[in-house]
Amino acid sequence: MSFSLNEVEAQAKKATRGAGYSWGMAEEAGRATAWLCAQGRDGVAVLAAVLDAAPDADHCSLAQGTRLCDRAKIAPSQNRVLHRVFQPLLLLPFVGFASRQIGQPLSITWEGGSAVTDGASLCILGRDPDAQADLAIAIHAGTFTAGTKFTRATPDSSAWDMLSQFAHRTYAPATEESRRLGAGDSQSNAL
Amino acid sequence: MIERRPARQVMRLKRLGSLHQCRLSFMRQLTRRMASENWTFERMVFDIDAAGVGHAVYATTGPDRSYSLVAFAHDLPDDMRSDRVIATAWDTTFALFDGTPTADDIERLSKNVPFQEAGRISESELTLSRANRSMRLWSHVVSALASGQQPDPAQIEAVGYLMRTTAVYGSGKFGAADRATYAKRPEFQSPFQAELLTVYLIRWFVRDLIEHMARVQGGASAVPLAPAIARQLGIGNSTGLGMAPFLINHPVLFNNWIMAREEAIARVRRIPEASPLEVSTFEALFVRTKVSVARWRSEHPIQIEKLADLRRDLGKLEARLANGVLNQKDPWNSLYRWGEGNLSEEGQELVASLMLEAYPELTDGLASCMTDAREDALALDGSASVAQTRGQLETAFGWAKEVDWHEQTNCARAWYVSEEKLEPRLGERFQEPIADYEQPLAPARDAVAALKDLENWNPDAPIAEFLETHPEHRHTVRRAQVVEFAPYSEIQDNTISSEVMPIDMLRAKLSFFGATHFDPRSDRWVRICMYAGAPYPEDLTPETSDLWVYPEAAP
Repeated sequence: MSFSLNEVEAQAKKATRGAGYSWGMAEEAGRATAWLCAQGRDGVAVLAAVLDAAPDADHCSLAQGTRLCDRAKIAPSQNRVLHRVFQPLLLLPFVGFASRQIGQPLSITWEGGSAVTDGASLCILGRDPDAQADLAIAIHAGTFTAGTKFTRATPDSSAWDMLSQFAHRTYAPATEESRRLGAGDSQSNAL
Repeated sequence: MIERRPARQVMRLKRLGSLHQCRLSFMRQLTRRMASENWTFERMVFDIDAAGVGHAVYATTGPDRSYSLVAFAHDLPDDMRSDRVIATAWDTTFALFDGTPTADDIERLSKNVPFQEAGRISESELTLSRANRSMRLWSHVVSALASGQQPDPAQIEAVGYLMRTTAVYGSGKFGAADRATYAKRPEFQSPFQAELLTVYLIRWFVRDLIEHMARVQGGASAVPLAPAIARQLGIGNSTGLGMAPFLINHPVLFNNWIMAREEAIARVRRIPEASPLEVSTFEALFVRTKVSVARWRSEHPIQIEKLADLRRDLGKLEARLANGVLNQKDPWNSLYRWGEGNLSEEGQELVASLMLEAYPELTDGLASCMTDAREDALALDGSASVAQTRGQLETAFGWAKEVDWHEQTNCARAWYVSEEKLEPRLGERFQEPIADYEQPLAPARDAVAALKDLENWNPDAPIAEFLETHPEHRHTVRRAQVVEFAPYSEIQDNTISSEVMPIDMLRAKLSFFGATHFDPRSDRWVRICMYAGAPYPEDLTPETSDLWVYPEAAP
């Protein structure tokens, strides 16, 4: 099914919150997932794998990505090495956001492949990283060929369903009490 | 030099809940643009049977593109008519198609649009919407027209619309095109233009539909709706809690709306002298405003009281104008200052909005500042210092440190999404098991919590360090950084107290749409009217496109 990127972002945010992250981190995950989809990658599948595996913060691409972006202007991002990052593709949006903050494209290299991003576009060369990989981040000198951008996402349906299940955890179960107190009081059709 | 009003004055719920439409309202921006660019309108299809079932296509073409309202009319039993977001059937359903739909598009939409949230639309559609008849007015108008009579003016005035929308979805919802894909088109740069174009076209369709139903019933003796009556009719809208979180979830956008209006008010207050034409423009629209306020009905105790105050305010204002306040030096600032001391907030905000009418050249250009082009480019700046962050939080939420957030009445409510309805609700924190599901819609409480945790941090440390230890404050720090450049981004009141009135948030948002005649039906949903008085496509000209919101005074 084809989804709008807004739908992807909203779903990813809810799912991340449902998986136990803070609201602020959930917002980051929403933005990052929609960004990956805009670059033609299945961000939904990547996020679903992260939420499902729940890696520790040192190896979590969401935690490490946020950290890298937060520190973009404090510690220069060149020659940073991250070890055994789980689902490294989810790091790419944050490298992109960091690149936008410092105004220079950044490259990410892994065994057998690499990527360059300036925050707006992404170029991936070689093969995709393994599910867990070592990554080297550096300032990218020179130009790069931007990949095609997308305005829709067609995520893997089982990954989408997994996000729905996580998102479901953010919904309060209906109780007699809440029905009685009723936030949605009856909007009658009397007029 | 007269500055913009301080956020601490403007961003209070009571004042936000008293805002009125103005020259910058999104409906007026749209009708002015369509008229000045000479948009054309065409009814392409009207294939609706004697039972009122079928579809229609209404197209409009601007300088570069066409848009088509695809309308489906249904035969809805009365007992299924509900304004709730969770309803599953409606009298009419709509999509705004980007361009001119083919037969295949219509076929695809006919299998999805009538089901609304349960269907899917595509990137070719900009909005998804539905509307229900006003039971009170619809059958009266059909019977009157069918028998060759015009409807009773008193009933027209009492209701104000033939149909009311219960949702107008855009921005990628249910598969529609993301706003980002069309936000650069000049006609859609301002907020909610696609949604409000949808409503404008719906109003045109509804007039045709009711005349069609009258012809079905009355045959040759049926007459069309008199133009003056048709023009008085708007499209109603029921807005519930779902819209309240929008203002909190879009702080930059909300700031830009408020800032544009505040800047316009400050500019007009600085004018040293008003010309006779400017004075007469204000006075003429004041007379028309009185007509509009006289037509404004509400059965809600709070709004009844506010309307009584507003009517009293209009009397005081009339006397003040008769005293020649506008012929003095600094006329608008004098008037505004007098209002602050003598009028209710409803009255003060009405004067502030009305003052702008004589100065389109100072006001209308600000419309281009009301969008939020940078929202998704905004990453949190982790290099900001702890001290800076504290300062930002103090600016917007210093007042909240005085609130005892452990006192039950100060945190009596919690915003949450229920499994049952999948829509935002406001519950009782101490009576329902909802606290674990709370949405982040209490920025003031969260800011105070963040300030407390920041106390022990080195003021020079980067906020990134703090966030590694305290990820739970991340959303609050992001909001704090917005305050730096967007002074009106935060509602400076408690959004979870036992006293909170969500209708204040709804009113603020809807006033920027250009809605009038706010009629709260409880503390958490409100009925309004859109486009009442607006010209239909055949009458839309630069002369009629702007001041329609002010009804003509009776001769």
